[in-house]
Amino acid sequence: MSPISPRILAGAALALGLLAAGTATAEDIKRGGTLILARPDEPLTFDPLIPGDNGSIYAIEQVCDALIEADDTGLGLRPGLAESWEVSADGLTYTFQLRDAKFSNGDPVTVEDVVYTLTALAKPDTYLGFILKPVKAITAPDGKHVKVELSAPYAPLLSALSVYASSIIHKKTHEADKEKFGTAPMCAGPFAVEKFERGSTVVLKANPHYWDIGADGKALPYLETVELRYVPESNARVLGLRNGDYDVISTVAFNQAKSLENEEGLVLESTPIFRLDYVYLNHTKKPLDNKNIRLALNYAADREAILKAVYFGYGEVPNSYMPKVNFHSDAVPLIPYDIEKAKALVAEAGYDGTPIQIMVDTGNAPFRQVATILQEGWGKAGLKSEIVEFDVGTAWTMTTKGEHGAYVSYITSDINDTDELATIQADFNGGAQAFFSWYDNKEVAQLLSDARSSLDPAKRGEIYAKIQEIVYNDGYSVPLNFAPVVNGLHDHVKGWKQLANGWWWLQKVWVDK
Amino acid sequence: MLLLDYILGRLAQMVPVIIGVSLIAFLAIHLVPGDPIQIMMHGRATPETLAAAHAKLGLDRPLLIQYGRFIGNAALGDLGTSIIQNAPVSGIVGEKLGPTVFLLVFSSILAIVIALPLSLLAARRVDRAADHAIRLVGIVGFAMPPFWVGILLMLFFGIYLDWFPISGFGKDFIDRLWHAVLPSATIALFLAPILIQSLRASMLDVLTADYIEVARAKGLGEWRILVKHVLRNALIPVVTVLAVNIGWLLSGAVVVEYLFSYPGLGSLLVRAVGYRDYPVIQGLSLVFAVLVIVVNLLADLSYMLIDRRVLTS
Repeated sequence: MSPISPRILAGAALALGLLAAGTATAEDIKRGGTLILARPDEPLTFDPLIPGDNGSIYAIEQVCDALIEADDTGLGLRPGLAESWEVSADGLTYTFQLRDAKFSNGDPVTVEDVVYTLTALAKPDTYLGFILKPVKAITAPDGKHVKVELSAPYAPLLSALSVYASSIIHKKTHEADKEKFGTAPMCAGPFAVEKFERGSTVVLKANPHYWDIGADGKALPYLETVELRYVPESNARVLGLRNGDYDVISTVAFNQAKSLENEEGLVLESTPIFRLDYVYLNHTKKPLDNKNIRLALNYAADREAILKAVYFGYGEVPNSYMPKVNFHSDAVPLIPYDIEKAKALVAEAGYDGTPIQIMVDTGNAPFRQVATILQEGWGKAGLKSEIVEFDVGTAWTMTTKGEHGAYVSYITSDINDTDELATIQADFNGGAQAFFSWYDNKEVAQLLSDARSSLDPAKRGEIYAKIQEIVYNDGYSVPLNFAPVVNGLHDHVKGWKQLANGWWWLQKVWVDK
Repeated sequence: MLLLDYILGRLAQMVPVIIGVSLIAFLAIHLVPGDPIQIMMHGRATPETLAAAHAKLGLDRPLLIQYGRFIGNAALGDLGTSIIQNAPVSGIVGEKLGPTVFLLVFSSILAIVIALPLSLLAARRVDRAADHAIRLVGIVGFAMPPFWVGILLMLFFGIYLDWFPISGFGKDFIDRLWHAVLPSATIALFLAPILIQSLRASMLDVLTADYIEVARAKGLGEWRILVKHVLRNALIPVVTVLAVNIGWLLSGAVVVEYLFSYPGLGSLLVRAVGYRDYPVIQGLSLVFAVLVIVVNLLADLSYMLIDRRVLTS
């Protein structure tokens, strides 16, 4: 174990953050104004302890800060409401020093608020409670420090504390009326919720008490108002951007992206995020219980064709069973498109002709196209398959019950630490039957546990690379694409940043118009 | 008194219809697989969490008991609490009812404005070029899917000409009218051909009737004949067509609201179904049923205003 100084880490992250901010000089920046952002989802709730949907998460990130925050790329960490922290030599005690930060109503962020929030999150019935599973006690030794004690060394702790669910909430407001907190939260992020009209708009106003400072030496954020518009139809977002109704649109459909690429005054950006589009395989269903069949499905999947036809070239053929998070290894070789090899594997498996059901969400045209391309390749390898469509709620529920065969879907990570998804997806006891694959590999489970408790990043990297290699080559799933997110914006929007965790860094965005 | 009896009788008929509609909607949505808690928790709910949440929401009770509870509370004006939004359904639905009614009224008016002159023209030039052209355009308009028509309208009037906004609801009355133009036009273009068909037929009847000849012989101007005889008689089919099609209109509104990000009952329904938010779906089906019945009742009542003979028969 090589102990590293978290203070140095924090300092480095901060320096990086400053460097990134240095691209806009103080004179350039225009403060005030409104940014209108159209997105395909809307929040269900602003209570960080409840949701698991991106509609809520991305909005909460604008309103709430945690002890530690993702940096402006989403790939690293930076100090948030904790100014600094120290780790004991055995890796079992973390002590966080609070910053003089304020909630958007002007109340100071106190140790009571922090202890209240993290204790509430650590309860097993919250959506992300499991990320604090190794936490034994959360206490406040004095008015400035919060101590987190662990039952075993847990390397992902800092990342876990940076996740939206760990956002520090105003104890008094939350305790008084939890239901109301969902629509009128009280947090210490760059913005505060001014109006929440379900089904259409969330209006955010700058938090006048926000702790972070902009390039001009004054408090962030630069914007006065942000409107998050709920526009579920992809066409409508694109047309609204052209029309000038929106300054930014999130999640442009890949088949519409090209049409925006050369348009005057518009900027199209494609950013890699923690997302993998893949075919879920149910290892308990015949013939998917046979590893050779699962590998044959991989060899017979023409991913290049899918990337070209369905994703219009946006993305990257994946060499992993999970999204590209911090400990991703590029060294794991790709399973190539090789029909002959697939045929040999099918023969070896003694395939009895049982058809594989490929499930697709109704109305998801791109995934339907993926299914068609897969069906063709699998057919060439001698595997029978049939495509069925269910609406997303039904498809998802069937998957959680193990009633699916192959399901074309995706997964995203909220957190830049491999541990979260690796555990959920590949550890049978990770809480979701290895994410509804019923994949059960004792060696992988042991490796995951080793990686979780090691504080040496180099060693963790090695273990995760090994896990990636094993799970990928066990035919855990049929990975399709490290799908990026494509956004469109007007060129008067300055300082725009899409984070790898999916949300946007709005506190340093300003509007030049 | 006769009128009052009639209205009361019709209202009494509403009760079994509403129970029937809500029961079918209730069973349909519960028979479809999908669990609101699992969808909300993205499949990560443990069996214990799931059981606890189901018990709290009463989802663990037999379906008929759940339904009985729902309809009993609904009779007292309580539509339950949304599972996903954690807020009273009556409030959520009430908030979105206004925009949808606004959209439906506006699109009906637009459809009438389009249909009246065209059907009149077609009726007066029967079997001539104008008549054929109007009927052909009508068939084409009816055959085009509203979703696609909406996108075309967005492209042309929203982007190319930049006359109208293509999403949202607007702030004051004028702004709302402005925002509702394109979604309403999409619905109206679907509705107008149906109106034209029946209007043209009834106008043809009237125009060739003997009493019109008499009126002409008496030296009444063409304009007066149109307003006093033809239009008045044409109104009944307009009302009938609109009332009969209110169900279609509502389903059209679902698509159009989604396309134009219009915050009404339609887009609420789409989301509620996706999340299996049972109380909201049940509440909406109830509201839709009441809406259809009330509109039809109003239509029947308006016949009496237009034509007194209906009352005495």
